[in-house]
Amino acid sequence: MFHLSQMDQIFLKSLADVVRTSRTTSQYDKLTFTTQTIADIKNEISSRQESVRYQALLKLFFLAMEGNNIRWAEFQIINLMGSADFQLKLGAQLAAHLVIDNQSQGLIMVTNVFQKEFKNGHIECSTTLSCLGTIANKDLSDSLLTHVLKLTTNTKPLIRKKAIAVLSKIFTINPLNIPGNLEMVIQQLQKETNISVLACGISLFCSVMKVAPKLYPLFLSIVYDQISKQKSNWLLIKLVRISNKLIALEPRFQGKLIEHYSRLLNQTNSKSLQYELIYSIMKYFKNHSQLYESAGDILKQFLNHQDPNLRCLGLECLTHISTSAGLMEFQEQILESFKKSDYFSKLQILQLFKDFTNQQNFQTVIEFFLKYSDLESNHKIIESLIHIITKDKFINVDDPEKLLLMYIPIIAQKIDTIDNAMRFKEMLFELLTRVPGLKVYSDQLCNQILQTYATQSDTLQGPTLNIVQRHTQLKYSLNHREIIFKSLIMIVGESVKLLKLEALINIIKFLEQLNILNCYESSLSDIDSLLFKIYIQIIKIDSQNEIIPQIEQLIKNIYNKLHNISIVKISFFYESLINNKQKDQLDQLFTLYEEDLPPINLEAQKLIKPPESLNITQSFQIDIEEIEKIKNSNNEQIEQKPIVQQIVQVEQNQNDQEDQNIQIQKQDENEEELKVLNNKVDSIPKKVFTINRDEELPPGVNQNDINQSKEDE
Amino acid sequence: MIRFILLQNRQGKTRLSKWYVYYDDAEKVKLQNEVHRLIVCRDTKHTNFLEFRNYKIIYKRYAGLFFALCVDVSDNELTMLELIHLYVEVLDKYFGNVCELDIVFNFNKAYSIFDEMIVGGEIIETSKQVIINAVKNIELLD
Repeated sequence: MFHLSQMDQIFLKSLADVVRTSRTTSQYDKLTFTTQTIADIKNEISSRQESVRYQALLKLFFLAMEGNNIRWAEFQIINLMGSADFQLKLGAQLAAHLVIDNQSQGLIMVTNVFQKEFKNGHIECSTTLSCLGTIANKDLSDSLLTHVLKLTTNTKPLIRKKAIAVLSKIFTINPLNIPGNLEMVIQQLQKETNISVLACGISLFCSVMKVAPKLYPLFLSIVYDQISKQKSNWLLIKLVRISNKLIALEPRFQGKLIEHYSRLLNQTNSKSLQYELIYSIMKYFKNHSQLYESAGDILKQFLNHQDPNLRCLGLECLTHISTSAGLMEFQEQILESFKKSDYFSKLQILQLFKDFTNQQNFQTVIEFFLKYSDLESNHKIIESLIHIITKDKFINVDDPEKLLLMYIPIIAQKIDTIDNAMRFKEMLFELLTRVPGLKVYSDQLCNQILQTYATQSDTLQGPTLNIVQRHTQLKYSLNHREIIFKSLIMIVGESVKLLKLEALINIIKFLEQLNILNCYESSLSDIDSLLFKIYIQIIKIDSQNEIIPQIEQLIKNIYNKLHNISIVKISFFYESLINNKQKDQLDQLFTLYEEDLPPINLEAQKLIKPPESLNITQSFQIDIEEIEKIKNSNNEQIEQKPIVQQIVQVEQNQNDQEDQNIQIQKQDENEEELKVLNNKVDSIPKKVFTINRDEELPPGVNQNDINQSKEDE
Repeated sequence: MIRFILLQNRQGKTRLSKWYVYYDDAEKVKLQNEVHRLIVCRDTKHTNFLEFRNYKIIYKRYAGLFFALCVDVSDNELTMLELIHLYVEVLDKYFGNVCELDIVFNFNKAYSIFDEMIVGGEIIETSKQVIINAVKNIELLD
């Protein structure tokens, strides 16, 4: 054993000295300082003087907290844990978790040390139990189980509660220790009066339920007994939590708890207990209306609370409502809460609405989130809105026309990420596929969305998607706006046959704006193809050749601008056709666009058998007559819109003055945000457009044929 | 169950750390850095809870120190917030107007207080007086 002289002891550094030196040492000298200190500690920890060893131990502990490896001192620390000096013992026990882990070989020595300590006074025993609770592993638990069990009957509540807490860990590590021993502990807890010990007992039951849930009948009665008479909030919280697990296993237990939950809910002011009760009631007590209503009232208080923590917890409870009707009851509070919430709470709310929006609240939800999106949460809001719209093949959408003309343009304007732009594109394509009649509005949609794009400088802002064109190997970078631009150009191109002459001319004039052409250099080939489709259609409509020269001039201007924009010389596929205008080539193209497009080409399908239910004689061409019919009936309703609006206004004026003021105030608020839209679409939606929600049903395929083939199978 | 407790200052220096679940040394350093990065940039408007891997972090800031607990998803957040506040009150009563330096120079006492409140990741005592009495009894034997 190392023995320090008196002189050495004067210069011995205490913990405080080491701490001060460490704080004042620069980063470059830290390594030298640490090495020197460790060398000193190695000498001091073997000293005979306990005060010296104690200081060395504390300094070692400090160095470990600074991030240094002290596993070399494992043996010394375990040795000190068995020291006669309590101060040394305590220091070593506190430092034990830094050097001892599951794989430590010194754990064998620790068993003997602990067994000796458990026979000492209650304070040594208590600190030893705390240490065991931190470093226990399987071998240690098995060796010390009987000792710990014995300590659960100690006269001191301090020892009893720590012993039960350590037992909880032992049972989790090795569930085979539970049978036989758990019953003993339960017997003792039935006579227990100390709240802390009882609380530790409940924690023990929770741990047992995680590893051996089928043992629940053993402690069901004790839990019920305590819940009916306990007043300590802390213990009640644990009891309610374990009751949740018991109800899941034993539904009859639920009935017994109603009276007690009602009492606790009415009496307690503790928010943590209220939260635990509400959580439990929302999950398990939906059928008990009175209790559910009381919990609902308190939940509304949580949702309206100023404290963001309580609002967040209120939303957490709502995830257990699991029905749209249930959510509707709290919708107002949730939306109010959204305005004041932080980012994570907003995500919670968005998730709720993603799961529980239906046709009834669809409009409210969409308008609210479009109004209250902010920079931080905008991309998540848009993602959620697209999800809500497209969910289950547009199950929430009862008015696709309103969706297309009212909400989709605003969503497009708010998109600021590529992922959302891709989702938007897919949503648009799917909507127009399932409701073919909506394509008549493609020019309006294009104008509404691209109008704002044209006014802002938009050259490759934000993150970009890099793509390589397959046949030319040209590389492009697309940002979110260009993705939307390309999809709109494609939609307009597909809808050209449905658009009037005026609309077609407006599109060409719109494309002539230099801003648009500058911004979307990667989309030049798409613009080229669109121009040609429009040209062909105008030739078809304008048989008397009145407008064609004007159109040709506009198109030539556009091509001139396109050539000037691109640094690399690009040849446009259709430009030469428009310029040269050879009649026989144009006639061939007319035929190509006009002829019916069959679903499959039998020659191409020689190796792959076509589906049996597919009618190969019926074409994929759009039924223009049907679409015209829908469009005309819609136009009649749009003409009647002013009359309808007047009737609605008169009815509003006849209502109570107070309600009217509130309504007008709300309308004013909405109108500021949705100003443009109030003028466009009928406020009372008419279900003229119906969404085709059949699974992968291409146009021309008959549902009856499919049903027939299924029956045959 | 509490998985670990961290006391960190604004610079990310860990003043106290208590681990109730086994992690190796490299993992511990990584966790400390991750938790600090998550909580240091949060505003007072934000909630005191956040999701972290498959668990929850409940944290509270007192002056320049962040007290963070990593708990299971099923644990009651408000109880944990109360626990943090209780610990600070006990420190304050024990040291008398506690500050960060008290914890730096007397970390062994701070750990002792932890051991009187939490064993094996479970809360065992919530009475301030009982905790302080237990710690003082330990001091008498020192």
